[in-house]
Amino acid sequence: MSAVVVVGIGNPWRRDDGVGPAVVRAAAPRLPAGARVVELDGEPARVVEAWDGADLAVVVDGVRTGAPAGTVHRIDPARDPVRAPAAPGSSHALGAGEAYLLGRALGRLPGRVVLVGVEVAEVGEGPGLGPAVAAAVPAAADAVVAEATGRGA
Amino acid sequence: MTHRASGSRTLKVDALARVEGEGAMHVEIRDGVVHDVRLRIYEPPRFFEAFLRGRAYTEPPDITARICGICPVAYQMSACAAIEDACGVEVPAPIAALRRLLYCGEWIESHALHVHLLHAPDFLGYEGAIDMAEHHRAEIKRGLELKKIGNELIELIGGRAIHPVNVRVGGFYRTPTRRELRAFAPRLERAAELAREVVRWVAGFGFPEHEGDWELAALRHPGEYPITRGRLVSTRGLDIAAHEFEAHVVEEQVPHSTALHAHLLERGEYLVGPLARFALNFDALDPVARDAATEAGIGPGERNPFRSVVVRAVEILHACAEALRLIERYEEPDRPAVEVAPRAGVGHGWTEAPRGMLWHRYELDERGTILDARIVPPTAQNQPSIEHDLFHFVERNVDLPDEELARRAEVVIRNYDPCISCATHFLDLTVDRR
Repeated sequence: MSAVVVVGIGNPWRRDDGVGPAVVRAAAPRLPAGARVVELDGEPARVVEAWDGADLAVVVDGVRTGAPAGTVHRIDPARDPVRAPAAPGSSHALGAGEAYLLGRALGRLPGRVVLVGVEVAEVGEGPGLGPAVAAAVPAAADAVVAEATGRGA
Repeated sequence: MTHRASGSRTLKVDALARVEGEGAMHVEIRDGVVHDVRLRIYEPPRFFEAFLRGRAYTEPPDITARICGICPVAYQMSACAAIEDACGVEVPAPIAALRRLLYCGEWIESHALHVHLLHAPDFLGYEGAIDMAEHHRAEIKRGLELKKIGNELIELIGGRAIHPVNVRVGGFYRTPTRRELRAFAPRLERAAELAREVVRWVAGFGFPEHEGDWELAALRHPGEYPITRGRLVSTRGLDIAAHEFEAHVVEEQVPHSTALHAHLLERGEYLVGPLARFALNFDALDPVARDAATEAGIGPGERNPFRSVVVRAVEILHACAEALRLIERYEEPDRPAVEVAPRAGVGHGWTEAPRGMLWHRYELDERGTILDARIVPPTAQNQPSIEHDLFHFVERNVDLPDEELARRAEVVIRNYDPCISCATHFLDLTVDRR
């Protein structure tokens, strides 16, 4: 049985930026037995630590690419070019993208990394996701479950 | 990326991202003369202050911990200190010691991050930790190992590293056993060994000649390096208690930021943080850390902000030594927390966050409902001093090309390790030359 870790990045006190933790919570009950679920603020060293020893890391973070709010992106950093930061919509400048690059530079990547990005709109102070992002949580959680159970794209 | 707009030249960079968070800097140069340097890096947690109003006096340690992912313990400790002050409670020595031990974990973690991943690339000529890791993998790994030990210490006492859940007004929900803490000592011995290497490593960096002329301010308490308590003292004779802070510090609105800029009344800018703590408490450092500092060539007279990287390394070593001592002397408290009954009044508390003194003030009614909350974090206090330093730096380097000027200005900003993770979202640097 391969080791799976699901990492939700974001700050629940910065509106849509809380989407990472919200998605991993929604996905948690349907993840394979033994999968680890971690919520982090995006500081890359913590992310690298969280996926140490895993065969698969599914990382969920808010992203801003210009697509409509709530759009769910699937990014394979081994194939798609990752810029740092890959998640400029976060309230932290250092995100999933930098974590991937740092892990790669240090030789501390898990077997495979998949990023599930949710397009954010409002990342001002305060709790609670905006309607478009909140509505996207189930679909993003489905994507996380699909990846974690080996049914991903 | 450079583009032109209405006669001014705009240069955008995102390297300031290595400050924790995002921010903006604007430099105005007219005919080769620096007119203005404005920094918008930090906005105080006004949302949280408003959010706390009407909540129970037991809630701030948990709520304010969410202001910053890097220093949640600092927020919890200052909140507890202020609320306990309002309620007239002083926690027993074993609980106070445990809080200090928890705080040591945060100092180790935060300083290890800044020294290795954020600051060292500036001295070694890299864009950031990622390209530095290609050639200095061992050093980055050492930084991560130190950081991990700091995290583990926070988890051991706080329950979780990011938003510790075990802290409450009056103490903790659960306190560790002597055996649990003793079992952790070898990890701290390892950290101390790594920290000694870090001090030697950073002492060998090249430091530009530069001297700040700020008033340095830090807590001071007899017989201990300041972490959890003390009076605020300064290099120019300030000596006040937490409840006197408001009478001495004014915050004023400046046009380029929604942030308030803090000044000492009739004295002006001041600087809190490692350099200030070190200058004002050198004698209270653990002998191991003091010797390492001396060997590294720094002493209480150090005023070069570039050398703050050495001070942070010394403080990591101090935190390791202090944590080991606290574990050695640890007595399990009779109860994990003391009763804190609410009463109407105002309480003030401050502690030394990794970035400097963090002040909280709460006004409670007789049932303990929060009527008013005020939080003054270290970066809010330091912003005017950073701007001032930056102004002189740009003045001396005005002939550099924009991109190089921007890069070096960012290095100056990083000397102060400003925390902006909870502030503005995007960094735009604009250099306006006419």
